[in-house]
Amino acid sequence: MILQQIINGISIGAVYAMIAVGYSLVYSVMNFSNFAHGEVLMLGAYAGFFAMTSLGLPLGLSIGLAMLGGGIIAVTIEKIGYSRLRKRQASSLYFMITAMGFSVFLQNFAIVTIGPNFRSYPDVFPITPYLLGNIAIGRLDVVIFLITIIALSLLTWFIYGTKIGTAIRATSYNPKVASLMGINPDLVIAIVFFLAGATAGLGGVLFGIKYTVYAWMGVLTIKAFIAAVVGGLGSLPGAVLGAFVLGITETFAAGYVSSSFRDLFSFALMVIIIVLRPGGLLGTVTQEKA
Amino acid sequence: MKKFMFVTLITVLILSAVSCAPAAAPEEEVVVEEAAEEVVEEAAVEDVEPIKIGWTGALTGDQAVWGTAEKNGVMLTVEQINAAGGILGRPVEMVYYDGKGEQLEYINALKRLIYEDEVVAVIGQNSSGNQIAMAPIAEEGKVPIISTFATNPRVTVPEEGVLMRYTYRVCFIDPYSGEVTAKFAWEDLGAKKAAVLYEISSDYSVGVRDYFKKAWLELGGTIVADEAFKTGDVDFRPQLTSIKEADPDVIVMPFLFKEVALSAKQARELGITATMLGGDGWPSLQLLEIAGEAVEGSYYIDHADVKAPSVVKFRADYKDKYDKEVEILSLMGHDAFMLLKAAIEKAGVAESEAIRDALEGISDVEVLTGTINIDPDTHNPVGKAAVIIKIENGEFVFYKTFEPMQ
Repeated sequence: MILQQIINGISIGAVYAMIAVGYSLVYSVMNFSNFAHGEVLMLGAYAGFFAMTSLGLPLGLSIGLAMLGGGIIAVTIEKIGYSRLRKRQASSLYFMITAMGFSVFLQNFAIVTIGPNFRSYPDVFPITPYLLGNIAIGRLDVVIFLITIIALSLLTWFIYGTKIGTAIRATSYNPKVASLMGINPDLVIAIVFFLAGATAGLGGVLFGIKYTVYAWMGVLTIKAFIAAVVGGLGSLPGAVLGAFVLGITETFAAGYVSSSFRDLFSFALMVIIIVLRPGGLLGTVTQEKA
Repeated sequence: MKKFMFVTLITVLILSAVSCAPAAAPEEEVVVEEAAEEVVEEAAVEDVEPIKIGWTGALTGDQAVWGTAEKNGVMLTVEQINAAGGILGRPVEMVYYDGKGEQLEYINALKRLIYEDEVVAVIGQNSSGNQIAMAPIAEEGKVPIISTFATNPRVTVPEEGVLMRYTYRVCFIDPYSGEVTAKFAWEDLGAKKAAVLYEISSDYSVGVRDYFKKAWLELGGTIVADEAFKTGDVDFRPQLTSIKEADPDVIVMPFLFKEVALSAKQARELGITATMLGGDGWPSLQLLEIAGEAVEGSYYIDHADVKAPSVVKFRADYKDKYDKEVEILSLMGHDAFMLLKAAIEKAGVAESEAIRDALEGISDVEVLTGTINIDPDTHNPVGKAAVIIKIENGEFVFYKTFEPMQ
C-alpha cells in the first residue's frame, strides 16, 4: 500500500511539475506570480481537445498545437497586459492583480463561448493498468511521467545550454545589466512567456486526458503554484522537486491521516517551508527589489 | 523578504477563497421569460395579469448541466399549461435567475424574486445545501418555495420539532435513499462488505452516507472503508487505494456525476473491481460521456425512470423543443410546477399565503414521477418510491422499483 501511495503521489506530482515550472519561469524573470497561468492551461487543454475531436488529429499533433496555442496566448497576455506595466515600472503587486484580472476574464470567456459542460478526451490509453504484483500503475501515468521528464529535460537544456537560455538567465539575475550587455529584454520576456505558455498547453492536455476539461479547471493550478513556492519560486529544479514533494505529501495525508485533511496539509506544508526557508527548498534568498 | 512572504500568503489566502467558490461567474444574467406572450391570444386570456412564478438554479458552473435540464423542464411545462389556458384562466410568467451553484447567489436571487419581481411562489433548487440556505429567506418573505431535488431532511425540518413553513419538496429524502441503498446492496447484490466514498463538503453526500451506514450496520453488513474528499477534487487515488486495500464487495458513492466519473475511472485504473453503487447524483448523460466503460455494471438509486411509459409524451415534447434527451431533473421541475398548479387551483387564488395553506396536506397530485401527497408534519411527499437504474452497454437501464417511502 505504501508503494501504491508513492506511485499515486508521483503521478500527481508529475502533472503539478509540468504546471509549476511555468509559474517559476515567469517568476524568475518578472518577479511576480502569473496567476493567469491556470487559464492558459485551460485554453491549451481546449485547444488539444478540439484538435483531437473536431479536427481528428492524432495525439502528438494535438499536443503540439496545444503547446503552440498556449505559447501564443501567454505571449499575447504579456503584450496586452504586462508589457505596459513593465514600461511604467509598476510594482509586482500590480502585475499580480492584472494576472488575476486575466484569469477571471478568460475563465468567463470560456464559459460563455465554449460552455459550462465537461469535456472528456477520447480514450487514448486503455484504462487497464500495468500490474506489478498488487500495485497498479496506470498506462497514462507512465506516459505522463515520461512526457514530463522529456519536456523538463528539453527545457533545462534550453535554459542552460543555449545562447537564448543564457540571455534568459542573465535577465533573471539583473535585467538592467543584461540589457546593457545587448540583450533585448522584450524578446527575452516574450520567449519566457512562450515557454511558460507551451508548458501550460502541454500540462493542460495531460491534465485533460487524465481528468477532464472544463472552463474553471485553471483553479486547480493553485496546487502547482504551492509546489513552485515550496520548491522555491524562480527555480526550475525547485519547482519540480516541490511538485513531487507536494504530490506525495498529499497522497500520504489523504491515505493515512484523513482524506478530508488533504488540502490542510498542502497549505500547511507551504507555510512551514516559507517560515523555515523563505526562499523555498531550492530557491535562493534574494533581496526584494524595490 | 518579509514583504514577499506577506504578499504570497495574502495571495494564497485570496486564491483559496476563490477556489472554494469557483469564480465561474459571468455577468449575472437576468432573463424574464415571456413564455406566455405567444399563447396569450389563442388561450383568450388577454387583459389578465399573468401569475408570476420564480425559478432559481445553476445555469453556469459545476451544476449547470442539471440546472439547465430542470429549467427546460419547467419552461416546457409552463408553455404547455399556458397553451391549455393557464392556471385559473391566467397565464403563467416565469422569472428566473442563475444561481451558479453558489449559496450566496441563490440567497440574492431569491430575495430579488420575492421583493423585486414579487412572484407568488418559487420553484426550487436542486441542491440541499443551497436550499437550506434559502429556506429562512422564504420564511421571511412569506413565499412558498418548492424544491425539486433537495433530499436532505434538514431542508424542511432543520431540527427536531422545527418545520420550515414555506419550504416543500417533491423528492424523497436521504434517510430513505440511504436505506434503499443498503437494502439493495444486501438483498439484491448479496454484498457483505461495503466501502463508502463521500464528499465531505456536501450536505447531501454526508447525509446519504450517514443513513446508509446506519441501515447497513442494522442489516448486519460491515463497513470496511469510509473515505472522504472535498468538492472540486479531481484525484481520488489516495482514497481509492485505501478502499482497494479493504477489498469491499460494493463501493457506495453518493455524490455528483463529475466526481463519480473521475473516481470511477481512477478506481478501475487501480484495478478495483467492486460493484459501484450510487444515488440520485449520478443521472446525467455527462457521466456516461466522461466515465465510459468505467461505470459499466454499476447501479444507482433514482427518483424515476426517465424512460417509463408515463413519461413518453413529455420526453418526446422535450426532445422536440430542446433537441436533447430529457433528464431526471426535467421531470422533477415539471412535477414541482404541477404541484404548485394544483395548490393554486385548490386555493382558488394565486396569492402566496393561500398557496402555502393549500400546499399543506395537499394530496393525490398525479405527476410524472408518481403521486404526491404532502405530509403536513414534514412537508415531504409521502409514498414516493425509488427506482434502481443499472448502467448497461453505456446506457441507463431501468432495473427495479423499491417499496415506497413511509
